[in-house]
Amino acid sequence: MAQQPSGPGGLLEPVRQSVRVRRPIEAAFELFTRDIGTWWPVGTHHARGDVVGVVFETRLGGRIYERCRDGAEADWGHVLAWEPPHRVVFTWAPGRSPGGPTEVEVRFTAEDPATTRVDLEHRGWERLGDLAAETRSSYLNGWPGVMRLYATAAGAAWRTESDPGPA
Amino acid sequence: MSTRYDAVLDALGDRTRRTVLERLRDGPLPVVAIARDLPVSRPAVSQHLKVLKDAGLVVDRQEGTRRIYAIDPNGLALLRAYVEAFWQGALLRYAQAAAARPPPDAAQ
Repeated sequence: MAQQPSGPGGLLEPVRQSVRVRRPIEAAFELFTRDIGTWWPVGTHHARGDVVGVVFETRLGGRIYERCRDGAEADWGHVLAWEPPHRVVFTWAPGRSPGGPTEVEVRFTAEDPATTRVDLEHRGWERLGDLAAETRSSYLNGWPGVMRLYATAAGAAWRTESDPGPA
Repeated sequence: MSTRYDAVLDALGDRTRRTVLERLRDGPLPVVAIARDLPVSRPAVSQHLKVLKDAGLVVDRQEGTRRIYAIDPNGLALLRAYVEAFWQGALLRYAQAAAARPPPDAAQ
């Protein structure tokens, strides 16, 4: 499992996750942003629930939100930096965020013309309450589902900061 | 595990307790220093510290006549594990989607 960062300060370090996909960088970027609704696990990862779609407005300041069956929309955040196909930064406050939104940065790096490495960083835990708010939100939205995915992920080609994998 | 998780979140659901915990971010402190300038009584601060301790967020030790409190990294590590699992779940689905659909012509 995750290695424990040393001391309380380390616990507020950004959460980092990486994945490698067999797609050219432009396609990897578009799949993550414009086409987020085609893959985002709305069953377990949502703000309000009963989600019929996820919208990522592909521009600086664009909204990221979920559409619910009853027509309501629930904001997740908005785009802070828009640099296709290399980098996107957005605020992240699905559901609730009493202390203020945290921030997610996603970087795309072409390893070869057909393979892209995706590095995600979720940061802004300066206030302990923000970390609690994020996890409270995740939990209410279906922790068992997240754990199932996590277990599946353990068998996939993952690399995380806490698990650098074989050298 | 979920019981412990609930305890951590409930403990952090209170603004005063978050303030107490954040005061310990830079190192261990005695109760008197933790309580300084807080708009609640000393006994109330002690009660908040007990909730944080029961949740696994702080540890305490006796030093002479003073009781010193420090952050217990285990409680916060639990929260971080949840955030990590959240993004692992999302990125797994992303990678699956990338693999499922034939990539566009790489030469374009």
